[in-house]
Amino acid sequence: MRLDDLAIDNCLKCSLCNTVCPVLAVHTRYPGPKRLGPELERLRREGISTDTEWVEYCLGCHRCDLVCPHQVNVSEMIARAKAEHRKPLVRGLRDWWFARPGLLGKLTTIVPALSNFALSIKPARFLMSKLMQITPQRKFPSYTRPNLRSPAIAGKESQRVVFFPGCFIRYNRPDLGRVVIELLERNGLAAEVASTECCGVPAMANGDAAEARAVARANVKALAQQVDLGLRIVTACSSCGHMLKTGFGRVLEGDEEYAGAAQMIASRTYDLAELLVAQSDAGKLNINFQHTDLRLAYHAPCHQRSQGIGRPWYHLLRMIPGVVIEDMDAGCCGMSGTYGFKQEKYQVSMEIGKDLFASIDAAQPQMVATECATCQMQIEHGTTFKAIHPAEILLQAYGEQKTGR
Amino acid sequence: MGTDRYDVVVVGAGLSGLVAAGAAAHRKLKVALVSTGPGSFVTGSGWLKAQEIPRASAEPELKEAIAFFCELMRLAGCTYAGDISTARYLPTVLGDLESVALAPLTLWNADPHEGVSTAVVGVRGLSCFDENFMAERLTEQALRISSGGTYTARQISLTREMGVPITTLRIAQCFDRDPSFRAELINSLRMAASGYERILVPGILGLESSAEQFAEFERELGCTVGEIPTLPPSIPGLRIYHRLESYLHKIGVELYRGFPVDKVEIHDGLCTGLRVASPGRPLYLHCQSAVLATGRRSVSPLGGEYAGRDQQMRPLTSTGSVMARNLFIAGPLPHSGVDNHGNVLHILTGYRAGNLVASTRGNHAAR
Repeated sequence: MRLDDLAIDNCLKCSLCNTVCPVLAVHTRYPGPKRLGPELERLRREGISTDTEWVEYCLGCHRCDLVCPHQVNVSEMIARAKAEHRKPLVRGLRDWWFARPGLLGKLTTIVPALSNFALSIKPARFLMSKLMQITPQRKFPSYTRPNLRSPAIAGKESQRVVFFPGCFIRYNRPDLGRVVIELLERNGLAAEVASTECCGVPAMANGDAAEARAVARANVKALAQQVDLGLRIVTACSSCGHMLKTGFGRVLEGDEEYAGAAQMIASRTYDLAELLVAQSDAGKLNINFQHTDLRLAYHAPCHQRSQGIGRPWYHLLRMIPGVVIEDMDAGCCGMSGTYGFKQEKYQVSMEIGKDLFASIDAAQPQMVATECATCQMQIEHGTTFKAIHPAEILLQAYGEQKTGR
Repeated sequence: MGTDRYDVVVVGAGLSGLVAAGAAAHRKLKVALVSTGPGSFVTGSGWLKAQEIPRASAEPELKEAIAFFCELMRLAGCTYAGDISTARYLPTVLGDLESVALAPLTLWNADPHEGVSTAVVGVRGLSCFDENFMAERLTEQALRISSGGTYTARQISLTREMGVPITTLRIAQCFDRDPSFRAELINSLRMAASGYERILVPGILGLESSAEQFAEFERELGCTVGEIPTLPPSIPGLRIYHRLESYLHKIGVELYRGFPVDKVEIHDGLCTGLRVASPGRPLYLHCQSAVLATGRRSVSPLGGEYAGRDQQMRPLTSTGSVMARNLFIAGPLPHSGVDNHGNVLHILTGYRAGNLVASTRGNHAAR
């Protein structure tokens, strides 16, 4: 019997999951994680159809899982129901694309300038809202030619690591990818850019289980050789990290060929900050930070919290002399990747973000640091503050030092 | 840097774990609190029953522990009222009276001894609180204890859509998030309260609301307000947890939320760290000392060897030897056979553990 089959009996209906659900807090009709998860799961397992559109409204933030005193995997049950849910045609089509940011990235970056123009002009956004039910309120991130490469020469002393860039860095921000590589370099780590696909979080979030499995397999295959060599895998996107650590194992469960390798990948995956902290513990962190007068607000993305690694970015940034950082701890931002782009969910998404926006407004920082790209978009959309990846701040604090090569 | 090195790691966010973390942090130690959700106290009222006091009164630091707890809760914005030497009757949701020594102020206000005219106000559609039943029962109880108080049932309707069914959680979340909802609630309650010196409402006044916000609410309403805790999710219980946890976060306690401790590293009679079952690979938290406050029903991370604790709250093996000199067990023991430890013993043992870890050497506080 699968462990999950037992976990459902651990649900005592204490409703703690409901008390932390960001959607339930803002949406009066949302049934909440307790009902959509364990309660309906009992019926689903008996083959009783309980299909409901509400499963689409789950953010996948995992807050319900984290608060459950009995470790019931509430959101996993909802994700499975989501995969079974049948959507109306237009939404189905839209979510098919949203589940494939890798494919979208490949197509839009054939002629990035044209794509960016097309995605930004008003008539196009109006059409997308009418034909695809994508909210015209948001701007798409701009795409750029995917030109992230592994650095040619690694320092002799350097230890090799594999960098899993993810779609956002690959197709939208290869410059951020270079920041990551340089940060690693300055700390004695030589990064090889993995030739991997999308991590699969968007596929899971859009209820596309087959696509999630397909990309998980492709990724396991692509990483196999480096994992066999015992290299560590680094991610700079919290959702990719979350997927590599928890998702591959889940979607490839029972897959004889891939399950073992997926487990191995999970045990070797590090968030960039987690790896730098590990370097620090080994006495290998470059701490020659220049004094930087900067007042920061920090937002911990949900998929960072779900990795159970503490707050490595918060502590790293605090090491820079002159940096004053305040952890907002104000809940989910409400964006959840593609969720906030969906017309019917835009309002919910913004309502959820209100607490965080208010906390940031009250803190009046010079900028917000958060490692998730879509959290950054949401914060910039909901406040007047700039939001950037903490890696950029950390690298800047090193100044113009020699990299040791 | 050693972000995962602590003077003390506390495991469990029940009352004993939270108090232990608070006591250690107030002694300037670098503290981590590992939890998988709050302890079961959140399903209740958070009050300290009077009957628990005599059982604990033999303990020398009872007074000190309670005073510390009250100060901690005041700083967390969830003020307690009462004293270990006094007792008041507070109404339960079944209309019984419970003899209580200390309680959060919002509950303390529901005391029937004051001889005042009280409106018991229910919310239309909120099934877990029956104002007619409550008013009838409390009238009986008031007669029985000759308090001279009178109770009348009133009901308010909320005009906005609150979902079906309406829950205390829904109302509390609206109360926290939406100033216009608070204004509407005050308006309806003001009408229901007109002619009464006090109103009693089910526990709905916010998951996050502070003592100041509550005082302001009373001021705007123009009369005393008492809350009666309902069935779980109990809003007053959750409020204690939220306020206390965010206070600990504010004073620098590092919170590791969501994954259990599955192993305690013990070498040569000393606990050197704890293993957290994080996804992918375990997270190790190194520590100078540790407090296990995992409760009676959780699987103890100490495993089968563990057989009890000594006077200094250190874990013992079945042969009676101390497992680790810098490891302390707070709160109720696993398999202790004692049914109800009550909040008083949680606070007492949590406070004691916080002090004991402070007396073991710590040097991570200086960053």
